[in-house]
Amino acid sequence: MSFLLTNIPRILPEILLLVLALLILGSDVFERWADGEQVVLERHRASASLAALGLGMIFAIILLQSGYLYTVPDTADSNYFTNLLRNLQAGIPRGSNVPLPVMDMFATDHLTIIGRLLFTGAAFLVVLLTYDHPPLRNPGEFYSLLVLSTLGMCLMAGATELIMLFLAIELTSIPLYILAGYFRNDRQSVEAGMKYFLYGAFSSAILLYGMSLVYGYAASTAGSADLTALSTSVITSFDSLRELFAQAGEPAPILLMGMLFMIAGIGYKIAIVPFHGWSPDVYQGAPTTMTAFISTASKAAGFFLLLRVLDTVFPNVVGNPIPVFDEFGGWTGMLALLAALTLIIANLAALPQTNAKRLLAYSGIAHAGFLLMGVIAQAAPFNTDRLNGVVALLYYLVVYALMNIGAFGVIAIVAQDTGSDEITALNGLAQRNLGLAALFTVFIFALAGIPPLAGFFAKFYIMLAVWQANAIWLVVIALISTIPALYYYLRLLRAVFIVPPDNSTPMPTPRWMMASLVVSAVLILVLGLFPAPLLDVLEQVQVVVIAGR
Amino acid sequence: MNMLTLPPTIPILSLIWLSMVLPVALIAVVPASRITLIRVIGTGFALLSLVLAGLVFLAYDQGQSGFQFVERLAWIPQLGINYYLGVDGITVPMLLLNGLVIFTGALMSWNIEQRAKEYWILLLLLTAGVYGVFAALDLFLLFVFYELAVLPMYLLIGVWGSTRREYGAMKLTLFLMAGSALALIGILAIYFGSGLRTFDIPRLAANVNFGQQYQVLFFLPLFVGFAVLAGMFPFHTWSPTGHVAAPTAVSMLHAGVLMKLGAYACLRIALWLMPHGAAQWLPAIAILTIFNVVYGATIAMVQRDAKFMIGYSSVSHMGLVMMALAAGTQIALTGAVLQMFAHGIMTALFFSVVGRMVYERTHTRQLGELGGLGRVMPFAAVMFITAGLSGMGMPGLAGFWAEFTIFIGVWERYPLLAIIAVISIPVTAAYVLHAIYRVFYANVDNPHLHDLPPLTWQEITGALILATVLIGVGFAPGILTDMIAAGVRPIAQQLQGVGW
Repeated sequence: MSFLLTNIPRILPEILLLVLALLILGSDVFERWADGEQVVLERHRASASLAALGLGMIFAIILLQSGYLYTVPDTADSNYFTNLLRNLQAGIPRGSNVPLPVMDMFATDHLTIIGRLLFTGAAFLVVLLTYDHPPLRNPGEFYSLLVLSTLGMCLMAGATELIMLFLAIELTSIPLYILAGYFRNDRQSVEAGMKYFLYGAFSSAILLYGMSLVYGYAASTAGSADLTALSTSVITSFDSLRELFAQAGEPAPILLMGMLFMIAGIGYKIAIVPFHGWSPDVYQGAPTTMTAFISTASKAAGFFLLLRVLDTVFPNVVGNPIPVFDEFGGWTGMLALLAALTLIIANLAALPQTNAKRLLAYSGIAHAGFLLMGVIAQAAPFNTDRLNGVVALLYYLVVYALMNIGAFGVIAIVAQDTGSDEITALNGLAQRNLGLAALFTVFIFALAGIPPLAGFFAKFYIMLAVWQANAIWLVVIALISTIPALYYYLRLLRAVFIVPPDNSTPMPTPRWMMASLVVSAVLILVLGLFPAPLLDVLEQVQVVVIAGR
Repeated sequence: MNMLTLPPTIPILSLIWLSMVLPVALIAVVPASRITLIRVIGTGFALLSLVLAGLVFLAYDQGQSGFQFVERLAWIPQLGINYYLGVDGITVPMLLLNGLVIFTGALMSWNIEQRAKEYWILLLLLTAGVYGVFAALDLFLLFVFYELAVLPMYLLIGVWGSTRREYGAMKLTLFLMAGSALALIGILAIYFGSGLRTFDIPRLAANVNFGQQYQVLFFLPLFVGFAVLAGMFPFHTWSPTGHVAAPTAVSMLHAGVLMKLGAYACLRIALWLMPHGAAQWLPAIAILTIFNVVYGATIAMVQRDAKFMIGYSSVSHMGLVMMALAAGTQIALTGAVLQMFAHGIMTALFFSVVGRMVYERTHTRQLGELGGLGRVMPFAAVMFITAGLSGMGMPGLAGFWAEFTIFIGVWERYPLLAIIAVISIPVTAAYVLHAIYRVFYANVDNPHLHDLPPLTWQEITGALILATVLIGVGFAPGILTDMIAAGVRPIAQQLQGVGW
């Protein structure tokens, strides 16, 4: 399928992100060699404002385009505004009418749109957090890398073809390697960047190997297969692969190998046990605001990808996550085991941590275990309502992004003041800055899954969906794992509220950082109290994922 | 028959729990230095909530069965979750109890000087959760309020507590959250097992004949999960350490009301919604509760710290409640709810005397060091004796009717256990009288006890209110028992219906 002019509005957000990245880079070029202290501060502010404004506008455009707020009715009069909106909303899925992927490579379905909203929203909040950073030497580069990485994530969410998938992952990851190691004079940051790069490169290689096996199997069956029956002409597109595998019947071991390697490769990106080794070191060493970005948006993008790949390429090896049935296995069975391992190991490993960022890294791994449960629930064959699994997973991703950005944001503020990101740096925060302590409490309680915050409903919904899929054993493990989790979250709050401060001078709160935190906290509260509207939006995803079966 | 009628358009139950959330917002904007203003706001709204709970009590129509003052809104329709409130004969006394304890607890909190703003915010949030649990008729909503009631406790004990506060706070929180995790398994089991895909408690209660084996399997996590909060043996160890460590008002709320949440949830959810499971497990549970009753009372007898003694007496008294639940008959359940009320008031009075009046002045709670206090503080002595007599089950006080009803009810079902449980009565009498003697009457002239500051009006008012209720219910138990009997009838019938 060739590229049509009408496809442009469908990929408008990606185009705009690319333009924004180049704009930020370009706007800073002519001032690159001015490095007086005041000038550097101004350059930093200028780039940050441009990035924040741009991301905010792109977020608004995606929201308008998605039609979640308002869709132009067909009967509306034509005027400048309705025409503009109609053009924007052309090619966007409505009801059961989902357009085919652009050039068989990039789907613009509800899953992609929700991914775009999540990634640009997270990037926006993170940029606000960096606004009051100590100024960066090369801010243009920093922010354009951030935006490019966001672009990569959007492509990850929509990729429906193997090459596209790989390019999207690399476009996401390479800027993040640089950003993790951005503080060149800080040994930990350099170590984090290097480690992230090496692990990332290995995982990409593993993913690529898996993809080549999958492709090789598909190509070898293609000789005997009826190629005219395929819905697309591109053999590497997910739809063709699925149809070829379905024609080939019983899955061959080489296909399973390929799938396994692909899951392992993506597993690194989303940091699940046993592919989690890099994440504590990287999270601890990277600049805190970048940790907030890596731990949320990048992980979420990995889950979007995992969801789409597994659902659309491998529906015939879905298996079963319930041990008592004979056909336990397939990818749901494997993911169920990984989820259980992740929940247990990450929650136990978090217990002895003394560094707040490292502790939150392990908590992030544990949350990946919960998110995996969502992937399992939406695919498990015994689930009577698979939609619940998808919606629970996406809701969890949204909430997880908000609460993790918030928690790391608070630690960034504290680290700017005290110069340390150990748990002891939080000591007596309640007496030094009650507002900040209250925000931190919201984020930590949300992470721990305490109602009425959104973190609770997210966990509850995932468990409900998994129970519905009959994998009750996994629900029980997840519930038990929340107890050690509560212990280490309470250790953070103990430092904030109970331990007396080392010095009792009030802690300053930079304005834009606070703005970002307040937005996150309010959203966590609102989404927790009134999840129904968001669930309504997320439910539309069913049209894509389940129709792909 | 009701004593007054409220206009039906007023969402009074929502107002009750909101009256504890609104002051949180108010206090949050008051500067931390204006402590008196914060106290007035907190106490004022606590009084307001008590008045509202009292209005519900008066306006509740005892002649009608079923839930009254029902409010219902769709909340998360995708999952069959509603914002659904309503009260019956069980929860009306519980709301009143919570109102009494929070108002007197607020009065007892006027001495908190350090970080008062945070203290009041957490205290009121906790109370909002308690009100919510008693009013909620939707399992999900109930669970949300339940956790809201438990979590602030960690900080309240950790920051403002005394003896081994961090240990006590962490232990309490982990035990209770582990309990609620277990209970959540049971809640999900009901949701899916019933096949109704709703969390609506009355609807679930009308349809309990789903998989008997399934109920037997999942009744246990559900019941035990909630029973942890009620302090059931062997999951009771958090309770004495937690109560001892907590500041006075928190001890009052915790022993007075929070432990009742556990018992209430066992009654309302486990017994009512999974009767087939209950019929299998109740005898085993009854045996465990014997340990509560007798062992708790015996341990209380050897305590030297007065707060530990009260903590273990709570274990013993809540054991009676749980034993009555395990008996599951109409009379036993009536006694259980009455005991929840009587014990709540009694233990609140205990903690306000020991934790606030005595400890804040003498800075010791060791029974041996407090001899002769009766001469210095006769008012405190009288209050302590009132509570003690009620705890012993002396006729004329609320505790008598509760324990009497429970023993009759348990006798119907497990005569042997009733006989063993009766042992607790002399043991309770022994430790209460011992404590009264050591603290107030031992003829010691203790120089530390001279020149203690006089009691404040807040302390006196609070204690008088509680003592009046104890005596009032003692003389006229009928104002509660009819209502409670009507409230527990559907649950007793549910159990009867499955052959219990």
